[in-house]
Amino acid sequence: MTSALVPVKTDESNGDLIQLVSFNLDQEEYGVDVLKVREIIRMPVVTRVPNTPHYVEGVINLRGKVIPIISMRKRFGLMEVDSDKQTRIMVMDVEGELMGFIVDAVSEVIRISGSEIQPSPAVVASGLDQECIAGVINQAERLLVLLDLEKMFSSEERNLFGSL
Amino acid sequence: MPPIDCEDQELLEGFLTETTELLEKLDDDLVALEKFTDDADLLNRIFRSIHTVKGASSFLGFDLLVKVTHKTEDVLNRLRKGELLVTPEIMDVILEATDLVKVLVSDIKAGDIQEREIDGTISKLLPLLSEAAANLNPTVLGVNQSNPEQSSQETEKTEPITSDASNAAAVEQEIPSVPVQKTGGEMVPKKAATPPKAAEGKSDDLSDNTTVRVDVKRLDDLMNQVGELVLERNRMIQINQNLQQGMENKLDFNEEFGKLTKRMNFVTSELQMQVLKMRMLPVEKVFKKFPRIVRSMARDLGKEVNLVILGEETELDRSVVDEIGDPLIHLIRNAMDHGLETPEVRVEAGKPRSGTLILAAVHEGNQIIISIKDDGNGIDTERVGRKAVEKGLITEDQLAAMSQREMFDLIFLPGFSTKEKATDLSGRGVGMDVVKTNIKKLNGLIDIKSEKGQGSEFILRLPLTLAIIQSLLVEVEGEVYSIPLSSVLETLRVDQRQFHVIGNQEVLKLRDIVLPLVRLETIFKVQRKYEPDDFCYVVVVGSADKRMGLVVTRLVGQQEVAIKSLGNYLANVPGIAGSTILGDGRVALIVDPVGLVDGGEGSSGR
Repeated sequence: MTSALVPVKTDESNGDLIQLVSFNLDQEEYGVDVLKVREIIRMPVVTRVPNTPHYVEGVINLRGKVIPIISMRKRFGLMEVDSDKQTRIMVMDVEGELMGFIVDAVSEVIRISGSEIQPSPAVVASGLDQECIAGVINQAERLLVLLDLEKMFSSEERNLFGSL
Repeated sequence: MPPIDCEDQELLEGFLTETTELLEKLDDDLVALEKFTDDADLLNRIFRSIHTVKGASSFLGFDLLVKVTHKTEDVLNRLRKGELLVTPEIMDVILEATDLVKVLVSDIKAGDIQEREIDGTISKLLPLLSEAAANLNPTVLGVNQSNPEQSSQETEKTEPITSDASNAAAVEQEIPSVPVQKTGGEMVPKKAATPPKAAEGKSDDLSDNTTVRVDVKRLDDLMNQVGELVLERNRMIQINQNLQQGMENKLDFNEEFGKLTKRMNFVTSELQMQVLKMRMLPVEKVFKKFPRIVRSMARDLGKEVNLVILGEETELDRSVVDEIGDPLIHLIRNAMDHGLETPEVRVEAGKPRSGTLILAAVHEGNQIIISIKDDGNGIDTERVGRKAVEKGLITEDQLAAMSQREMFDLIFLPGFSTKEKATDLSGRGVGMDVVKTNIKKLNGLIDIKSEKGQGSEFILRLPLTLAIIQSLLVEVEGEVYSIPLSSVLETLRVDQRQFHVIGNQEVLKLRDIVLPLVRLETIFKVQRKYEPDDFCYVVVVGSADKRMGLVVTRLVGQQEVAIKSLGNYLANVPGIAGSTILGDGRVALIVDPVGLVDGGEGSSGR
């Protein structure tokens, strides 16, 4: 592995190897810090929760815990597709709470070193919020967008939620 | 102050728990003392508490604490010997000293011992110690035996009893029962005679809710239940194995499995009861701090109040106990400040001088009912209505259309207050809003009964536990929702053609009332799945005088469900109180009928 990458928080440790889980979403490849990913599961039955933002798919029962499920496609304003055999839910730890994110497919765990992360160009994938992009990794023939999910829900959005 | 080394850590912890406990009781006793001034037992108990705290703190070297407790003890001693009479003024000083002791103890607890200003309080205590202060016939010779040096030295010798040796013999009989170390003695390494009893000190107290003390018997019962559960599990594995290996025919399997299900059902519900019981606390935990609060407020307000507490042994879940403290304080404040009148006004109105405030707790089915009742002047609905209009919370038209009951509810509006000026006690219009929000959070209901001139009563209905509830499962166009049974009044099957429309509101004439209807499919934006049907079910929810009907497609049945939170992220979805997991592993959302009732009222009122 000749790649190198650094999530925002570890900027100081540029030489460190970090591991990312890469997943696909509408042709693009994204990565998140492996330490944030608790597990990857197939699509279970999702219970819809009314009166929530459209990208909240609902909640699921994860071995006795009820966790919210977010559709990444809807969140990023991408075209909606039906789930297929490849569709996965990545259960991640977002600020101490478990949340599931629906992605098209999960591919692999890759190792990169911090120096390989580049700041994101002004405009990245369509509809993607700038602030949750921690950087871009440019490897031989692939381009990986590094996401910081904790930033995905702006404080504004949280409050909006809270006051609903 | 000497730093506490780790060897003493255990001692210190013992001291802290014990002291906290003593102080909590002390408040109660002191207030009681004011009422029963000649109760010698009570006075002696108070004296002993302070004495124990003093002894322990001097042993551990908390000088400030020793000074304050010592002087307080001296004053109490004079009361005990009859040299002083209990007066509200003296009680004020003693209570102030107790408060100071609490501050000092909490400093120690926080591990942050500060030089606090204690002279102010002590200087208030001192005059009471002088000969001249004797407000009684001075025939009983008040030998001011409590020479500070002497008694604190003696306490350091960890023989606290001896410091009183010079006292009347009668007193000596009282005291030995206290500071003698209890079973925890072996935990105290060096000076065995130290009063802190570590074992005793571990008891549950409100300020430390992280540990639970459980009866060994209950624990044993629990273990038995778990043992049975393990047996049933083994049986289940066995049955499964037999089935897999084809050793059992279908008929046998059916029978065996049926039996197993029954037993499992039995064992788990027993287990559930046991665990629930362990989580229960007497409501006394919350109630016991009220006499003190009521007393000091009565003094501040210049009112005379008789606080009656009933049913303090009623048990309820820890989670509920933790949450009801605040709302109750606000309700008591409200009753004291707005409800009860001053003695003069009361006498004029032909009532006894001192008002009565009754705080009662009682079980009723799966609920606990706490009521705060005063015999004050009741809620003046006219004034309340006017104020609400003045403050722009409602319009004149809305006011005109309001029932008595709805006007009572106005006092819960945030920002509402009948006070012209905010005081320390009330007037900011926050308190009742807090009450409402907290009770709602607990899934509870508030009822108000009030008669002008006769007093008012606030009735809180709370679930016994927040963890498991009885619920009615309903289906709305294919989606299953759970409605807490506690708020379901009745269910009906009705023909939709019987619905009427008033304005934009669908209503149903049910016996003599007009029931506003809410279609769950509309507010929850459920996609239609079935062909429209003439018949549907209506679940009537709400409290006594606020009702509404929820229109659902089908009733599924009643089930006991465990409440699961939706997490912070989805904590505030309107109309949804939480979720639960059904037998098939799917998640069903729990409807929040209280929220719906409120929300529904709001929109129909507009």
